[in-house]
Amino acid sequence: MIMDDLALERYFDDSIANDSSYLVEEDLCLQSSQQQPHASSSKAQSSTHLSGGAETSGKLGDDLDLSFLPDDLSNQSSITAAAADRNAALNVLEDSGICLENNLPDSGAVELQKSTVDLGPESRASPFCPMTPMTPMTPMTPVTEKSGIIPQLQNIVSTVNLGCPLDLKFIALQARNAEYNPKRFAAVIMRIREPRTTALIFSSGKMVCTGAKSEEQSRLAARKYARVVQKLGFPARFLDFKIQNMVASCDVCFPIRLEGLVLTHQQFSSYEPELFPGLIYRMVKPRIVLLIFVSGKVVLTGAKERAEIYEAFENIYPILKVFKKQ
Amino acid sequence: MSAAGLRCPGCGSSNIVDDDLYCQAQLVCVDCGSVVSEGTLADDPVGGTDVSYSRTTEMTRKPCLNLIKGLERVKEICRILRVSSEIEDLALTHFRQAYEHESFINVTLQRKELLAGCCVFVSCRQRDWPITLGTISCLLNADQTLVGGVYQNMMKILNIQAPFINVTDVIEAHVQEYKISTQHVPEELAEDSKVLSKRAVALVELAGDSWIVTGRKPLPIMMAATYLAWQSLNPNKHRLRLSLDKFCQLAKVQKRKPATTRITELKEVLCKLGRELPWVREPVTQNDVVPLVGDILEHRHTLLTRALRTHERAMEADCTQTFALNSLTEEVAPSQISESRNQTANASSVVQPCPNTRGENQEGDGDENHQSEDPEPNWGKRVLFAPPCVLHAKMRRVERPVQNVTGDEEISDSEIDSYIRSPQEVRDFAQMQKMASCSDSGKS
Repeated sequence: MIMDDLALERYFDDSIANDSSYLVEEDLCLQSSQQQPHASSSKAQSSTHLSGGAETSGKLGDDLDLSFLPDDLSNQSSITAAAADRNAALNVLEDSGICLENNLPDSGAVELQKSTVDLGPESRASPFCPMTPMTPMTPMTPVTEKSGIIPQLQNIVSTVNLGCPLDLKFIALQARNAEYNPKRFAAVIMRIREPRTTALIFSSGKMVCTGAKSEEQSRLAARKYARVVQKLGFPARFLDFKIQNMVASCDVCFPIRLEGLVLTHQQFSSYEPELFPGLIYRMVKPRIVLLIFVSGKVVLTGAKERAEIYEAFENIYPILKVFKKQ
Repeated sequence: MSAAGLRCPGCGSSNIVDDDLYCQAQLVCVDCGSVVSEGTLADDPVGGTDVSYSRTTEMTRKPCLNLIKGLERVKEICRILRVSSEIEDLALTHFRQAYEHESFINVTLQRKELLAGCCVFVSCRQRDWPITLGTISCLLNADQTLVGGVYQNMMKILNIQAPFINVTDVIEAHVQEYKISTQHVPEELAEDSKVLSKRAVALVELAGDSWIVTGRKPLPIMMAATYLAWQSLNPNKHRLRLSLDKFCQLAKVQKRKPATTRITELKEVLCKLGRELPWVREPVTQNDVVPLVGDILEHRHTLLTRALRTHERAMEADCTQTFALNSLTEEVAPSQISESRNQTANASSVVQPCPNTRGENQEGDGDENHQSEDPEPNWGKRVLFAPPCVLHAKMRRVERPVQNVTGDEEISDSEIDSYIRSPQEVRDFAQMQKMASCSDSGKS
């Protein structure tokens, strides 16, 4: 592939940016040897994150097989200072490795990194390694590091139709965990301990379940509520279970200049410190609302699927990084 | 009314004619001349006219009275604030547009007045006229949250964007409010507005750089900056002794509660920089930083660089120390340390001939304690300046992570039964409810 001028510039910018930080970090690596690998193998780290968790980011897809990655990557910390330069070059390779094809998994890049430099016992023969090292390729899209941070789901709201009209007074009388105050709200509020959730049960038979920390938990909780209603003598069914909203939060661990962000992304952001301390970012694709705070904590809401949350976060992370420095 | 079939009550004759020669139609008996009955003066059908006022053409000719009043209010507010005519026109346009919308046409008069204030606010922002929502709330004599709500609503309806206004732009206007010149207060407490404003601007810029401003309400910060500026311009014992409360009374402004915390935060930042002053021998504490503020602000860029370098060296020393102690956990990622490094201007460290051992010890100690106690060290403690909400992070209850759930598991009967009352419980509960409702009805 022929590199055009702009891509060449970007390529060098990236490698230089990564270069200096890695040189600096290498010193620290020496001093703190038991440390997990940091930025230079952050991709490996993020792969571990991803392989460790049950879900993978929507971008990588389901065909990602990370089983060959070692569980414990701390061995890599025995990289010596002499390898600092090599690491810097590796990172460049990593970048270009990722950019070769959009669906080349992260692991491929990691393997590439390991196979091109002899790191002693940590190097493995790679089943991949399709390209020759040290051949820069034109990035198809701007190179962005995976953030390595996974937003944690905090709340799921789902609805289900029990399919039969319900006598709320009867339910409030017969169930231990129910409260019903028709003057305040026209539904029974029922709670269960495991998963810790709350449900609003309406006389039409429709039910809203809130408080679960995952889709499966929400479904299990809704089924338990349906069972309770069934046990009370109603012909309850479990129809049209649907996740209506998902809320997640995470911490990018650096302070964010909200004033700068609202200036550059004015069409999407709303920042009124007199009214609310956080910046409200309405992302268009995917349609998610993010609350971004100066402490670096981000709340994502409005998703119907987990993948939307991950995608939204991966979209916002590079933007936030721009506003990290003063 | 038909004249047929009526009998005159006076003479009994049935010779009654309808006489509408005069303004009122009357039924008159021909024989005796007595009036049998007369029509109503107003000949309208029962219940008013057929066509209601709102549907008559009168409506289009004369606009709604409240709209006129609202527009007058907008003009009034503009005149009080002394904004340009351009802003006034823009505000009037916005008001007319928003007023017609369904969210504002049928609301209380109070809300319409808030709408007037918000239109002025938005227009000021769009034309780069520095103003805060707090000022508008004061003018409208309304709660800021209410005004905020109306403001958000209006922005959504009008679908416009208002550029963000920096605190540094507003501070100059804010300082004008303080009645602290020689004509208002005694000599040793008086201060020229321009000089005060200049120093307050410098303080606010410093606060902005050290994460005190982002996310916070601007008015308390401006108040804190003005107070510190005033104190430091002439740090005699009168000024130093005067508390924020008294200062606000003196200057005839309303004190904002968060201003005291902002003063503390600002002083902390000034202390961090004050330590880097080469000619200061004693430790710089919150109490004696005020006289140094002038010097600190004058050389703040140099002091900032030096402080960052000192901090970086402290981090380095700390790192070797903890490496030797072997107490680091996985979370203490060197990436966080590299972050503070990225913040420094240059990585090459130069030995500073200034007394900063205290600074190093302080930060070193803090970090050490932190690492040995917390499983998740606060990244804020590893950098020189961090937003206060990070430094004083609330301890959150750690939720135990739930094992993977498939959602289709078997639900045990016993678990469901535990949520259902036994028959005896039901009887007891029903009885109690009856008793409770009886006593309620008895009382009421």
